[in-house]
Amino acid sequence: MSGDSLFAALRVLIVDDSAEMRNLLVALLDSMGFSGTLCAASGEEGLRMFCERQPDLIITDGSMRPMDGYEMTRRVRGGECLTEGEEVCDRDVPVLMISGHVGAEAVKLARDNGVTDYIVKPVTAETLYERVLAAVSKPIHIVETKTYRGPSPTRRLIPRISDGPLSE
Amino acid sequence: MSDVPSSDVPARFLRLPSIAERKLGADYTAPVRLDPRVLEQMQQTIRELTTKYSESLKSQVGSLFSFVEQAGDGDPEARRQLYAAAHEIRGLAGTFGYPSIGRFAHSLCGYMERYKDIRATVMRFHIEAMYDALKPGGADENLVLETLASLERLTAVAHAGERSAG
Repeated sequence: MSGDSLFAALRVLIVDDSAEMRNLLVALLDSMGFSGTLCAASGEEGLRMFCERQPDLIITDGSMRPMDGYEMTRRVRGGECLTEGEEVCDRDVPVLMISGHVGAEAVKLARDNGVTDYIVKPVTAETLYERVLAAVSKPIHIVETKTYRGPSPTRRLIPRISDGPLSE
Repeated sequence: MSDVPSSDVPARFLRLPSIAERKLGADYTAPVRLDPRVLEQMQQTIRELTTKYSESLKSQVGSLFSFVEQAGDGDPEARRQLYAAAHEIRGLAGTFGYPSIGRFAHSLCGYMERYKDIRATVMRFHIEAMYDALKPGGADENLVLETLASLERLTAVAHAGERSAG
């Protein structure tokens, strides 16, 4: 099974307040073989679309208003879409965060809120392809306690930097 | 923020099948390498979008100037708009072949994140550096590094004796 026929079977939700970034990501995902990619301009809209359309993968920005990508991810992991205990949405859905913030604090915040993988802008074709493929083709490891469910919050989340020079 | 489990909180560890396995069956095997045809299609997409982006970038850099004075005078809305525009450039310029402009925008965003009282002079020099990098030859690596170092020195002088917000 090639990557593009796998991608054709999947639905992605992009959450970013930048129209240019959304357009770029949709175009790149189209090139990869995805179709019917969903878009939202804020965490709030993203959460609503997640509940309504049940995507297989979320790609989100970090900083957005009124609800940012961190809070949206926390709410997805918290199972806010569950209706009367019936699990309609997949709260364990992979969440890729693409952010301009490269600092340890932002990466830790992403990890603690349940982000699966963290890509630093600017993104390249290769990094996006590689991380999307990894997100959908690797088994999903989840830690569950009374107060948290998601990727291990004690793991080392390594920000993926495409072209190196951005650093603090 | 989520509560992070500590070592004394009972935790359950689950290994769930991948999204691909759930969609295509348990016999799905992930490709061992990226498909070069897919990668080429993606790069072609970026090339096709670059012309349009280049035009948009010029006007975005130009628009930064219009917020500088008011932002430097403490206008929160001008500051928000300036930061948002610089943040947008930081996020996209590198993808479309303007990494040096992305780095200057990154430096400007970092400056605005670090200091509560921001100076129009410091911001103007950042924007002028972006403007110069749009010109042919303006993105020379050594020149970019030298300019970034100069911007750091300028920031230090402008804020001598102050503590940064972060």
